[in-house]
Amino acid sequence: MMWITALVSGIALGSFYALITMGFALIFGVTHAFNLAHGDLLVLAGYVAYWLWKAWDVSLVLAFPIAVVAMLFTLLVLQRLFSLLREPLELNSIIMSFGLAILLQNGMLFSFSGDYRLIPAPILTRGIHLDGLSVSYGQLTLVILSLIAIGLLHLVLHHTYLGKGLRATIQDREGAALAGINVRAMGVVAFSIGAVCIGLAGPLYGAIYYLYPTAGLQATLLAVTITIFAGVGRIGGLLLGGWVLGLAESAAVILLGSSWRELVSAVILMVLLVLRPQGILGREQG
Amino acid sequence: MGEDLWKRAFPGPERGVPLLVLLGLLFLPLLARSSDYVLSIFTHALILATLALAWNILGASGSISLGHAAFFGVGAYGSALLSADFAISPWLTIPLGGLVAAALAAVMGLICRRLRGAYFALATLAFVEIPKVITDNWDGLTRGSLGLVGLPGLPAFHLGPWHVNIARSMSASYYLVLVYTLVVVFLVALVWESNLGLALHAVREEETAARAAGVHMDRYRLFSLLLSAFVTGVSGAVYVHLTRYTAPGLAYSLHFSAVPVIFALCGGRFTVLGPALAALLLYPVDQFIFNPLLPAGHEFLYGLVLVLAVLFLPGGFWGALRRSP
Amino acid sequence: MTLLRLEGLGKQFGEIWALRDLHFTVAEGEIVGLVGPNGAGKTTLFNLISGRLKPTTGRILFGDQEITGGEPHKVCHLGIGRTFQSSRPFARLTTLKNVLVGRVFGKTFRFRARREDLEAAREILDVVGLLHKADTPAGSLTPSEQRRLDLARALATRPRLLLLDEVAAGFSPVAVKQAVGLVRRVQERGVTLFIIDHFLNLSLRVSDRLLALDHGEKAAEGAPPEVMRNREVIRAYLGLRHEGDH
Repeated sequence: MMWITALVSGIALGSFYALITMGFALIFGVTHAFNLAHGDLLVLAGYVAYWLWKAWDVSLVLAFPIAVVAMLFTLLVLQRLFSLLREPLELNSIIMSFGLAILLQNGMLFSFSGDYRLIPAPILTRGIHLDGLSVSYGQLTLVILSLIAIGLLHLVLHHTYLGKGLRATIQDREGAALAGINVRAMGVVAFSIGAVCIGLAGPLYGAIYYLYPTAGLQATLLAVTITIFAGVGRIGGLLLGGWVLGLAESAAVILLGSSWRELVSAVILMVLLVLRPQGILGREQG
Repeated sequence: MGEDLWKRAFPGPERGVPLLVLLGLLFLPLLARSSDYVLSIFTHALILATLALAWNILGASGSISLGHAAFFGVGAYGSALLSADFAISPWLTIPLGGLVAAALAAVMGLICRRLRGAYFALATLAFVEIPKVITDNWDGLTRGSLGLVGLPGLPAFHLGPWHVNIARSMSASYYLVLVYTLVVVFLVALVWESNLGLALHAVREEETAARAAGVHMDRYRLFSLLLSAFVTGVSGAVYVHLTRYTAPGLAYSLHFSAVPVIFALCGGRFTVLGPALAALLLYPVDQFIFNPLLPAGHEFLYGLVLVLAVLFLPGGFWGALRRSP
Repeated sequence: MTLLRLEGLGKQFGEIWALRDLHFTVAEGEIVGLVGPNGAGKTTLFNLISGRLKPTTGRILFGDQEITGGEPHKVCHLGIGRTFQSSRPFARLTTLKNVLVGRVFGKTFRFRARREDLEAAREILDVVGLLHKADTPAGSLTPSEQRRLDLARALATRPRLLLLDEVAAGFSPVAVKQAVGLVRRVQERGVTLFIIDHFLNLSLRVSDRLLALDHGEKAAEGAPPEVMRNREVIRAYLGLRHEGDH
């Protein structure tokens, strides 16, 4: 019975991971910028929702659009900062976003203290209870929301003109520019979609899992892992990758105990990096 | 001859700065009227300076590590456990801690041999978890997440008629750490100007051209990693005997991974002294000015200067100072 | 004596053959020009010889030794130096230090004997005419000076064979004349030269022989006048379709 619970929580967790990763993978694919502050932005979105509830008694449902708007502002500022960076972009973006992550963490520490926060949403803790199998509404929401988000993203990428531009930029930035695609605008679009994903995932995170200022880095590393696993531009791969990671972590928790969780994702990331040393968009040196 | 060397090392008007800083550090206990608080801040700053200097040994090859806390923590725990459980003098366990860190670095270096740039940085970020989680869970060896308390302090120092009990005296600890820092500066300067340094700089500037000119890149990168890890581990060990306490959450914390990067980049990663000068400037500013103002969140300063450095001053402030005619 | 021998050398990228079934030799003391239009496979050939790429087929022999797929630094130690299509100076190091890298690491790592290395490096800077800029950061040199620096650095590794990739690209006639002089001075030091020269402004004047490539295959080889009159070579340069006949 324990295994079924692990399966359920693994899929739910994995769906959440996939949702987090979508924004990151799209931003990286289109702009080649690594945003190490991605997870911290997620936590920030969660704190925004928390603050809305705490100070203004705003319900969780209303918090979503507000968080999305807040994230749109934030990520567009970020996009401008990233565009100021010199070559090598991948490395410089890692370093700069590392600094931004520290800034954000301290800002959140100052604003909300280090205590664990949770947005109360009792409906999420209730759930369906069958024969020994229990699924909370929170977990269901995660799975459904991530499926919808992935579906929508797939739709945009493969059935719209904009999506074509995004995919072209992901595949070959220079080529796309030569073909007349405004790659800078594609970057803005990618950041915007990323903002929407974070704006949705953040409040959920705050309602289901605990918020604390340093939670971000872990989330970012998860996003990096899944992005490398899936290969950029492969949306289905993101969902699969998320589930694999979620299930692996749940299994590790059962077999080894919860303190080994972070080690599992770290090891998976290292294995992926070593096996694909040319990176996600790798091509043989010519 | 010494003066010639000094003039060659600091050709510009910034020449006075290192000398001033050194004098300030030498007379600090006098200047601070032996305030334990001030001394402890600067002792801490000096250790961070050694971390930044050590980090930059690897940085010289172009590799950016975001996970040096792994070596710091392993050095700290190695020395702590050897001195606490086996009653070996810290004089011995401190360098041993460095060796354990170097051994860990050898493993990581071999695994990450083919990684470059951003991917190497990511790998180092992930790698920290390995020693951290193992230390956290191997209760039998390390006492787990509770950490270790009551560790032996920095050992007494005997020289002929002199007998200094370093652990008891804030000033003595401070001077010991200062001497250690100067040794590390000297080591880095030696590497920088040696043929090894030449290889590292060449690899950093143009990897392909360096290899085509006969530089065995993998070997030199690995060596710089080992040396960097060794010194970092020694610093971790010194730290742990200074504070006489450690825990996995502390020894492997992001703080000790982030701080060397920030100081090296803000100070000047293409210079010898830059990392140390940044440490001696930024840490006291953080502790004396921002910590009292914002007990929670004062470290935003580090994030801010890093972002500013990457965007506007990639050679660091000391690097910029040295270039100006 | 044959210094370099290529036997059935080929390199495939995905579906495309950048170089296919190349047989060629370079004799010691020669200057061989490697010509052909863009995409002919010239730089790929250099990358294969110097070890930057591993061949898909074939062998490379240097002297008596097989160096197929060797590591770049090992190939350098054996005596093959090279420059690159775009200059790659160690920008933050001085010109002298750039050359010193080649001198110190070109054969095997040397801990000691710094003075003789410095003198040797200065001598080479003198040969390429950059001694007056010995203490300038290499990043501040003009583009043509940086090309000469690349050459000096490769020369410092004491090569028997030097692969020069576009050493005179975009040079004015005066600069080409200087480059010709430089190449001859290098030859006088006993170095065999293999020169890529897409624009043909250099190799026609200095080469003993030419090798012309087109779409990865040998189009012609021989004395410069004959090769440049060769129908295939002319068609290749004019960009006419490469029909299957040889």
